[in-house]
Amino acid sequence: MPDISFGMPAAAPTPTMLVIDDEPQIRRVVRHALEADHARVIEAASGREGLDLAAAERPELIVLDLGLPDMPGADVCRDIRGWSAVPIVVLSARHSDTEKAALLDLGADDYVTKPFSTIELQARIRSHLRRAALSAAGSGDARVEADGIVIDLTKRSVTRDGVPVHLTPIEWELLRVLATNAGRTLTHAQLYTRVWDRPHGDAQQNLRVHVASVRRKLERDPVRPTLIITEPGVGYRFELGRQS
Amino acid sequence: MSATVLPAAHQAQDDEDRRFNLPSFLLWLGALALVTVAMLTVRARLDKVHIALGYLLVVLGAGASAGRRIGISLSVIAFVCFNFFFLPPYHSLVVAQPLDWIVLVAFLVTGIVAAQLLARARADAALARQRTAEVDRLSAVGAEALNAGRAEDALTAIAEVMRSTLHVARGEIFVPADTEGMMLVASAGAAQPASEGTESTGPYALRMGGTQLVEWVAASGRSALERMDGGVRVSTDDADTSGLPGLEMRGARALLLPLRVRDQTVGVLRLAGDEPISIDRAQARFLVALSYYAALGVERLRLEHEAEHAQALREADELKNALLASVSHDLRTPLTTIKALAHDLRMEGHARAATIEDEADRLNRFVADLLDLSRLNAGSFTVSPEVNAVEDLFGAALQRVSGMLREHRLRVDVDAGEPLLVGRFDFVHALRVVVNLIENAAKFSPDGATIELSAERRGDEIRIAVADRGPGVPPGEEERIFEPFYRPLGQPDAGGAGLGLSIARRMAEAQGGTVRYDARVGGGSVFELRLPAASISETSAEEAQSASL
Repeated sequence: MPDISFGMPAAAPTPTMLVIDDEPQIRRVVRHALEADHARVIEAASGREGLDLAAAERPELIVLDLGLPDMPGADVCRDIRGWSAVPIVVLSARHSDTEKAALLDLGADDYVTKPFSTIELQARIRSHLRRAALSAAGSGDARVEADGIVIDLTKRSVTRDGVPVHLTPIEWELLRVLATNAGRTLTHAQLYTRVWDRPHGDAQQNLRVHVASVRRKLERDPVRPTLIITEPGVGYRFELGRQS
Repeated sequence: MSATVLPAAHQAQDDEDRRFNLPSFLLWLGALALVTVAMLTVRARLDKVHIALGYLLVVLGAGASAGRRIGISLSVIAFVCFNFFFLPPYHSLVVAQPLDWIVLVAFLVTGIVAAQLLARARADAALARQRTAEVDRLSAVGAEALNAGRAEDALTAIAEVMRSTLHVARGEIFVPADTEGMMLVASAGAAQPASEGTESTGPYALRMGGTQLVEWVAASGRSALERMDGGVRVSTDDADTSGLPGLEMRGARALLLPLRVRDQTVGVLRLAGDEPISIDRAQARFLVALSYYAALGVERLRLEHEAEHAQALREADELKNALLASVSHDLRTPLTTIKALAHDLRMEGHARAATIEDEADRLNRFVADLLDLSRLNAGSFTVSPEVNAVEDLFGAALQRVSGMLREHRLRVDVDAGEPLLVGRFDFVHALRVVVNLIENAAKFSPDGATIELSAERRGDEIRIAVADRGPGVPPGEEERIFEPFYRPLGQPDAGGAGLGLSIARRMAEAQGGTVRYDARVGGGSVFELRLPAASISETSAEEAQSASL
């Protein structure tokens, strides 16, 4: 099992973040965005150096560019996952959706496509830090709250603005998996494995159809979802609210 | 008698049979005289049978070694000698006993028949040798054709074999040129001497004339002759596809044959001599067989060229894709920096920095468009259709356009009370289509206008409509708007490359759908994306509807 209790608690004032990217400009941009959120940023220009720094500094979060000159981003990701559960946010430029999904399946937590906006990057990183802190503190709250929705994981109940929402067992399982991984993009394959206990969908288990019906029950506007976000071609992500 | 078809390779023997070889005739005549003298010395003790046998030996020897004519001539002479010297009354051609006629006639017939049989056996043997030689030649040609590294070398080898076999000065093979006309790919034999012919038929003029005739042969698939007097004769027999002209060969300077593979004329063979060409039937047969080899060689040449061409195209395509991928990557990195810096500026209160961010996004979309168009063109575009909900598609589309639709309102007409609309399509590509249609609508709508997005199921189709109140499309342009780089005439530059609609339509078609344009009632445009519908299976629908928690 990966050790997830290393490093400083997320509540600490200056979490350490590692940026692995061979482009100095991108490192500067990411450093800027992270430092604005009061993080201590360390930089690595190659995959090798990144792995060494990750082992030595035990950062709270890693931003990893896929287009490294010395080794594939996937290898860096796999290597880190061998000994740590630190959130990994991947930066990609020309990579296809399948490649992104493969990276998430390998253990990366999220990806951001270039050219990304600073706000987007900051929001993603914050939500990963929060989720990591929750897991580090044990199972965390058994309640997930977002935008008027309260999910009680122990009582298996969902309310919207105080009104109970009825979900089918599969819908509940889907929501539970998404909500307990809030902020992480879960690939279609990961969702199939965790909700249906099998790697691929079949006619009776149309993941996307179930997501659509959960949205109808939870979202204020199902075509403008704020809780369950679609990552086209990759998967879905549960958002705890972007206003923070 | 098959002696008349004896081929070139055994011409000498053939001639020997047909012509009268005087020295060997005199030799055998001498032998006959010797035998006669020898038998005369012991005439008293000889029986008619001994004499007949003695002469028969000579006749058979002559027939076997010197040919049919000498054999028969000697039979006749021996017959006369037999009568003259050995049948009483001696030294006269009178035959006293009628029964002796039987002996004489039997001798003559035996001699003639023996000479004939011997000659036939010789001819058969010669034919067999010639066939063997033909097979040897053909297998040599086949081996040459297979062995030659390049198809051109194989053709040259075939041309050389044909030229030497048929005893002509030059063998040439022409194939259709890339652009038009025919070009020479292989030639064997002496180059045309520059001094040949009169002033008007120098090599260049001759070659031009020849080329025109070559083109005629290639186009018509019929054979032709160039005559010594400069005239041209062509085969008029449509049915004769054996490759040989039903032509009078006399006075021919060059023979042109179409090379055919599976009823297709793939090239032209030209055999030309400085002297009149003469080709007998055996040579003609050989020529037909060889010309099939030549045709196969030409076909091989064509296939080789095609393969090379395809390889070159593939490499160019790979290069282009690699270039585009690297360009898009290399552009996105600086765009990221520009966007981030513009964001910082905006945070510091520079209002116009937002424009920089927007423009960076636009540039990025433009790069993505070019990349997609190139993938669509290259056919390296993968589609993975799955069951998807239209609401999910709309949600993703709204999220994607939210950044750039600040000046427009977007109304989405989806009734959450209705059953879910589901289709079988590739989510990412369908999303791209919807986003492109919304962007297109926004581009041509005034600020503050509403763009309407709706969906319905019609039969086996999901129809997703994007409607605007823009200027619409001028009559006659309804299909042209789907061409790449189309820009409407007389309208302000809407700031795009004109790729959005063409990419949208092609992406829709790639997954079994389409994009249509219709004028909107009351003004404006409706773009409709049609995709294959799907139905949620009974159990799944039931399970989704029941509130069992």
